[in-house]
Amino acid sequence: MAEKKNNPYITLLLTLLLSMVVGAIFMLVLGFKPFDAYVQLFKGAFVGKVNLGTTLQKFVPILLTGVGFAVASKVGCFNAGIEGELYLGAITAAWAGHYLPKMPAFLHILVCLVLAMIVGALWAAIPAILKVKWDVNEICVCILSTYVAKFFTSWLCNGPLSAKTGMPQTPAVHENIMLTQIMKPSQANTGLFIAFIVVAAVIWLLYRSTVGYKFLTVGLNSAHADYMGINSKKVVIQGMMLSGALGGIAGTIEVLGVYGYFLDNFSLNIANDGMLSSMIVWNDIRLVPLMAFFVASLKAGALSMERFAGVPRSIVDTITAIFIIFATMETLFHFLYKKKKTKEEKAAMTINAAPAGSEKGGKKDE
Amino acid sequence: MNDVFNITLIYATIRSATPILFAALCATVTQQADILNIGTEGIMLTSAFVAVLTSVTTGSWLIAILMAIVSGIAIALIMAVANIRYNAHICAAGIAVNMFALAITKFGLQQFLGTAGTFTSPDIKAIPRIHIAALDGIPVLNDIFNNWCVTEVFGIVMVIVLWFLLFKTVWGLRVRCVGRLPMAAETAGINVRRMKYEVMIISGVLGGLAGAHLSLGYSQMFADNITNGRGFMGVAAMNFGGMNPLLVWVGTLIFGFIDSVGARLQAYGLPSQFILMLPYIFTIAILVLAMWRKGRMNEKAKSAL
Repeated sequence: MAEKKNNPYITLLLTLLLSMVVGAIFMLVLGFKPFDAYVQLFKGAFVGKVNLGTTLQKFVPILLTGVGFAVASKVGCFNAGIEGELYLGAITAAWAGHYLPKMPAFLHILVCLVLAMIVGALWAAIPAILKVKWDVNEICVCILSTYVAKFFTSWLCNGPLSAKTGMPQTPAVHENIMLTQIMKPSQANTGLFIAFIVVAAVIWLLYRSTVGYKFLTVGLNSAHADYMGINSKKVVIQGMMLSGALGGIAGTIEVLGVYGYFLDNFSLNIANDGMLSSMIVWNDIRLVPLMAFFVASLKAGALSMERFAGVPRSIVDTITAIFIIFATMETLFHFLYKKKKTKEEKAAMTINAAPAGSEKGGKKDE
Repeated sequence: MNDVFNITLIYATIRSATPILFAALCATVTQQADILNIGTEGIMLTSAFVAVLTSVTTGSWLIAILMAIVSGIAIALIMAVANIRYNAHICAAGIAVNMFALAITKFGLQQFLGTAGTFTSPDIKAIPRIHIAALDGIPVLNDIFNNWCVTEVFGIVMVIVLWFLLFKTVWGLRVRCVGRLPMAAETAGINVRRMKYEVMIISGVLGGLAGAHLSLGYSQMFADNITNGRGFMGVAAMNFGGMNPLLVWVGTLIFGFIDSVGARLQAYGLPSQFILMLPYIFTIAILVLAMWRKGRMNEKAKSAL
């Protein structure tokens, strides 16, 4: 969605600095010590095996949902409903992990993954179909359908699929299909490698294959794609389905790697973090892993910041939210580049910029 | 079924419709200028928190509403500046503002009110209800018209005011012109940017009212994500009403009706999750219906040429 005339790395760094400064001012006003808080945040995220492991464990779902959001944005959709797909994928995996007959572990994990992907993809197809067919805003449908998915899974794990232990959860999956822990005692698991393989495959699909070419063409200009003989409506649905499938994988890894069962309301907006780590880097998939890691370390470090610096954990979310608001502003740092332009160019720009800027407001209705 | 469909359902409908009504009006006024206000939810959530906070600290519901409006305008202006001055995609700015609202209210709840999750307190000064003593004895009228919340009455007044503003004044004509074809508006000497800022400020006011009513009128509490998608229901109602405040009001009444019928069906042994799901499913259905009808109308308009 952004035209990257400027160096994205410099802009990213500047945005990061700006939001950290704003966060620091915010903390100062409330009487905390910002430097202390940032140091504790860093320590809590990286220093020590447990801390690093927690960061990695949180990194996996954020990475997958972030890449999922970015994929949908490549075909011009805001998939704000990955949370719902994650929930449905997770409960599918929990179901398949417990109720399917015994089979070799590798095969069983694969079946869980594939089933979760299918469910996630189908759920994501709903807003996509509504969008291409009747131009229904996909963000609204996604957010509303996420509530439906949450309540539905909550009913399943309280009712038909309940483990009957008094907790709102499903029975535990077979022991042998649990993903191996790699950094005990933290909960980091081999899901990390599954995530890397999946992300690599998605990047290959997008930038090295015909499918990806279609995606990118539709995202850039769907009218042009239609003219070239690409069915843009179909491609939009495919893009959203791929995005939903990634949400399903994230849910599966959470179930098979961390919990071992589906717990009601377990995710607490993981997909939101994925969404923002994708939006901050203007949905550039190759930068998403970096940003997802950054967001995950913030999340992991927040707890120790609260414990040792006395700053409430939720301030981290506030700072990341400020970060994302700045990041959405495409032209925030244009003044840095404008200086180089000559006066004539500037004059020409202001004439052209006024109507162009005002047109960009929202989606065209007619 | 007499427990479900009786005379008190009329007021129950209006009661659950009002928070969505303000949200829908908040989305309507910006949509007239072709700005899709995804941030309605965020505006509402922030101002709901500010309303509770001010109500507890000052003990006045009027100041609470005023502060809620101020915070609503602040959030709306963040979006406006991001979109108009710095060229952010309006949907991206909206999502960002929603996340910001979620985070900052959670933080504020911990920092200023000292709890996490839900805040209830007898110190919360609620928006008063209008008690008409003359209606006390009359059966039907009493059920329907007595003990309305001040903001519920005000919501209906706002529908008419907004309709008048948009369709009967020069300002409204200009706003709609900006929404239809900004280039033409520019040529006609309308300052498009200024107009967009103006509608965003008005939407901040309406969103602020929505939040204040939600936390001080509809319920006397604040909880994390108390809005629960009501902002998006507002956007759906706006689409249903085709940006006309009067029809938008009808849309919100439908939502209110479904919501209150659902709440009453709980007594009939349906799992609570399905009842909680109901408003969201209907919202999606109504949204689709509205857009389908709009598509049909556009086709008709094309074939008439």
